[in-house]
Amino acid sequence: MEFEIGVDIGGTFTDVVCRNGNGAMQLVKIPTTRSNPSAGVKAAMDYMRREWRVSPDEIARFVHGTTVATNAVIEAKGARIGLLTTKGFKDVLEIGRQMRHSVYDLVLKPETPVFLAPGAWRKEVDERLTATGDVLVPLDERSVVHAIDELAAAGVEAIAVSYLFSFLNPAHERRTREIVAERHPRIMVSLSCEVDPAFREYERTCVTAFDAYIKPVVGRYLERMEQDLAEDRVRTPLQIMQSRGGISASRIARQRPVRLFLSGPAAGVIGGLEVGRAAGIEDLITVDIGGTSCDIALISGGRPLIRAEGAIGGYSVRVPMVDVNAIGSGGGSIAWIDGAGSLRVGPQSAGSEPGPACYGRGGERATVTDASVVLGYIDPAYFAAGSLELSPKLARQAIETVIARPLGLTLDHAALGIHRVLNAQMAEAIRLVSIGRGIDPRGYTLLPLGGGGPLHATALARELGIRRIAVPPHPGVLSATGLLSAPIEHESSVAFPRPLANLDWPEVARALSERDEACARLMRSEDVPAARTQIFYFADVCYVGQAYHLEIPLRPEAANPIEALYRDFLAAHDRVYGHSTEGAARIVNLRSIHRSAVGRPTTTVTAPSRGGNALKGTRDILTADSGRFVPAQVYDRSAMAIGTEIRGPAIVEQPDTTTLIEPGWRATVVADGTLVITADGKTERP
Amino acid sequence: MTSRTRAEALDPITVEVVRYKLDGIANEMQSTLLRSSFSPIVKEGLDASASLFAPDGTTLSQSCSIPIHLATLIPAVAKVLETWPVDGMRDGDIYILNDPYTGGTHLPDIAVIMPVLHRGKVIALSGTMTHHQDVGGMSAGSVPTNATEIYQEGLRIPPLKLRDGGVFNDTLIKMIRQNVRIPDTVMGDLNAQVAACQGAARRLAELADGYGHNQLASIFDELLQRSETMTRKALAAIPEGTYRFVDHLDNDGIELDKPIRIEVAVTVRGGDIEFDFEGTSPQVKGPLNCVPSGSLAAACFAVRALTDPTIPTNGGCFRPIRLRLPKGTIVNPQEPAAVNARTSTIKRITGCMIGALAQVLPERVPAASAGELLVIAFGGSQPDGNRYVVGELIAGGSGASAGLDGVDVIETDATNCMNLPAEAMEMEAPIRVHRVALRQDSGGAGTFRGGLGVVREYEILDGEVSLSHRGERHFSSAPGLDGGSAGARAHSVIRRAGGGEEVVPSKTVTTLRKGDRLVIETAGGGGYGDPRARTAAQVREDVRNGKISEDAARAAYGRAEQE
Repeated sequence: MEFEIGVDIGGTFTDVVCRNGNGAMQLVKIPTTRSNPSAGVKAAMDYMRREWRVSPDEIARFVHGTTVATNAVIEAKGARIGLLTTKGFKDVLEIGRQMRHSVYDLVLKPETPVFLAPGAWRKEVDERLTATGDVLVPLDERSVVHAIDELAAAGVEAIAVSYLFSFLNPAHERRTREIVAERHPRIMVSLSCEVDPAFREYERTCVTAFDAYIKPVVGRYLERMEQDLAEDRVRTPLQIMQSRGGISASRIARQRPVRLFLSGPAAGVIGGLEVGRAAGIEDLITVDIGGTSCDIALISGGRPLIRAEGAIGGYSVRVPMVDVNAIGSGGGSIAWIDGAGSLRVGPQSAGSEPGPACYGRGGERATVTDASVVLGYIDPAYFAAGSLELSPKLARQAIETVIARPLGLTLDHAALGIHRVLNAQMAEAIRLVSIGRGIDPRGYTLLPLGGGGPLHATALARELGIRRIAVPPHPGVLSATGLLSAPIEHESSVAFPRPLANLDWPEVARALSERDEACARLMRSEDVPAARTQIFYFADVCYVGQAYHLEIPLRPEAANPIEALYRDFLAAHDRVYGHSTEGAARIVNLRSIHRSAVGRPTTTVTAPSRGGNALKGTRDILTADSGRFVPAQVYDRSAMAIGTEIRGPAIVEQPDTTTLIEPGWRATVVADGTLVITADGKTERP
Repeated sequence: MTSRTRAEALDPITVEVVRYKLDGIANEMQSTLLRSSFSPIVKEGLDASASLFAPDGTTLSQSCSIPIHLATLIPAVAKVLETWPVDGMRDGDIYILNDPYTGGTHLPDIAVIMPVLHRGKVIALSGTMTHHQDVGGMSAGSVPTNATEIYQEGLRIPPLKLRDGGVFNDTLIKMIRQNVRIPDTVMGDLNAQVAACQGAARRLAELADGYGHNQLASIFDELLQRSETMTRKALAAIPEGTYRFVDHLDNDGIELDKPIRIEVAVTVRGGDIEFDFEGTSPQVKGPLNCVPSGSLAAACFAVRALTDPTIPTNGGCFRPIRLRLPKGTIVNPQEPAAVNARTSTIKRITGCMIGALAQVLPERVPAASAGELLVIAFGGSQPDGNRYVVGELIAGGSGASAGLDGVDVIETDATNCMNLPAEAMEMEAPIRVHRVALRQDSGGAGTFRGGLGVVREYEILDGEVSLSHRGERHFSSAPGLDGGSAGARAHSVIRRAGGGEEVVPSKTVTTLRKGDRLVIETAGGGGYGDPRARTAAQVREDVRNGKISEDAARAAYGRAEQE
């Protein structure tokens, strides 16, 4: 038997999924060892051997989603690096774009990641290219030698190189790398012409410096994991999820670690996409509600939305990633009363320590989870499959003391209030994310994820005018399942600043075929046969004079690909920005993406085909529209057969989450095990 | 007030839920504006805002990305309500204006305001303000640095109906189209404003369906009262008294030897805050005059920045604010004073308001920031004959605070604009950028050092280029606080190809030729606390990182490099 393994190492839990040759899936959550996350992989291997009888040599794929890149930045544990720039420009990294994020703060903090390379660690090199990529001042190799010898003597582990206009002519940067390799072979090098070959020197320098900063850390981590697996007799090469939602061989991924920043969340979105595909739904809003935050992402036409620039540890970094937007609302969000006596929820969170009051770990403040217990949504004895017994008494006490009494409300209405305020907040955030991308949420299906998502799904959907919700079989471990469904993907882009007017297609085709060679080399090194590779081309296009661009698919098969590109650009501009004119447009960058589907689909559904006794009993719950406690039927998800239909008010329980179906909604288990909830006729606002 | 008794009957949860919705609606309007506007200044400078108002003109919620837009629609809505009382408003009416002397700010900012009716009754107003790319006048872009009266600045639109009961005012639209350089763009942006207002109206009507307009009105009252209560509470925490601050703008670009004085006395008493500008310069010939909406925006920024940041922002927060703006001064100019460049003035006004309170809030208020946004524009021809105009907005350093150094080259107070990458400039124009560097020794010395300004050096590669340079802080410096030194003044110089240097007197319009270089240095922020109390390690670190010279380490900090 062959097995495919996905391991998603998060802050609290390491999720492990295993799919066998028949497509059947098994999964388990193991606590993460914070000090040594790769120990989680060892633990996972032991567990699989013991419980699932998976022998290492039967493992056909081993895919990993990691937070090591992000943690290196958040915990400031990256390498000491040096930065080489064109003469006159060493301070670009520190100056940045001069914009501030907190507009109303009087005491400001630096907006640029100066810590990567403070002044003393930045050196200038005598060289200069023009805006057309021609050499104005040849590379003065003595100035390179001087700079790198100084940095080496100061003990740098890696050097970032970012010269002006290197995206048009990489010669000087590449020669610089050769010189470093000759003189200081142990120092790692990141070149801006390879990490991010696009114009705007601050953005390119910043992402290149981040790449160098995490390269030694990520390299050591992944190399060790590769070795551990090899020692465990796993023959398949380790694969890593990248921020764009595609996977890559670990030994390639660690050459360009800056692409791993959103490894974990990207896997979650791919998992959501897969659930949608199985249920025949192409347009989805995924809402992953955890303890401290809520991640919102959009899947449109069966593809996740990708953004060109993401945020790493609070800094904007130009690296393409799945467009995941985090807001500070979750189950642990704390309810409080402000100076004018209004009920507020979050953004402060009780986290997992001390956690909500009902955890009984000393938390005295009322949280959303405490409210869920009081309202009857969560069974205190069956939280996280009974792994943590909740105290309804402590939940009631916290809400009574901190919220209900001061506001002059009954306990129940205070608890309901916490939910209503949180839901209103989250709904506005989801709406804003959608509208900001030119998407009307009403036409989309809500895909609730995480431990908290399915609890708020019907309330959020009603607020947003969404009429369909799809709850995947395992909403709590979707990132791990996403690892197994993601394609292998390699991407290569090049700056191509040309107006569309009078542009020759052969010139574009030549540039693309160079990108294809770069991608094909990577695919070959992963043993992906060319025949199984799908190739996608994109151009970043904008109106002449515009500073922002849109990524438009290129269609080489069209009769006139340039004309088609222009038409597609106009349509995209209209969709995203609400208007378009037939003005002159230009290309900024060209991109080739090679993608190869791997693995097999999950065939065995987790729902039984015939009805067991899914009904566990009834529990009184209070929802926004009933206004009083009403009996809700409580179901066991694992026993719900395909085709089962239930009506709200109802609760569906499973180890990783609880789904609340409010009155006015009905739910059906469809063929792949997804629970599809739809609005029952007209729904009222709360 | 009867609203108090009504409010007692209100469900406090519903009040809070409605608040999120009002904020959400304003954010959605703003998102629509930013997304669908044509104007680059909206897309990249975020120069637009959206608000909801109660039928009496009180702000219910607002979304803006730069503080200069705070409260900016209030005078416009007041003017509309004065001209057309709510009782006569009909579904499908839309109002428009841009005249600074009848509710506007400066001419490129056009306000579009729409009543929201529910079952025939006005329940609210939605409004948007967008900086349009051009509204006519003597120069493209409608911000002529050399204007001396408003007639030169562009088309003035008094409060008018853009749409009357659903029928667009074609006469007005034709007049607008005929008077601007890029009519399609201007109309496109106006349509975006109308769309944003309509989206808001739809969602507000849904709210009224859900809650009934009487209950909704009491919820509005309650929300305003809550924010007012919280703001007054926060203001009451500031020690009572009158606090003064004086600072200067360099000149008005016309009379180059005349500094412009901004003086403010801030009185905090009994939960009220008054800003009195007695002593401020008379209005000037050049376009730096600032109509009262600018001072209101600055005051709202100051109150919001100095009180509890968790207070929900609405008109309630603005109720404790009083402004005394003497007539005929730069903060309350009389027609036909030119006003287009009032951004510099608002930045300085904001700095003065905040600076005045530094005496009593030393832990929360930093030393003065450079508070300059240098505007330079190069205009010339490409070798192929095509015309180009390329501009930059360049910041200085921020002030140091009790505990932190100032930030180098960062936008502060009322604005928040990006700079232009050197690569972008070189790709757009035959100009070479030789240097983008931190300006050593420009941060005011102190226990905590002021932020540094920037040095940028440009070389003209071809032809004749017109240069417009609008600086600030060339003749005054950002003062330090509590023993800290002032930041360095800004300094710009033109080095002619044939030899010879010309110092730019803060503002100029001149011609550059092939080989000429312009070197600009922006100002630093003020330092905080006695420089001699700065630790030796910090001084050494600054020398190592090039932020201060060894000379400065000795002279300003009394420390020699010990390595």
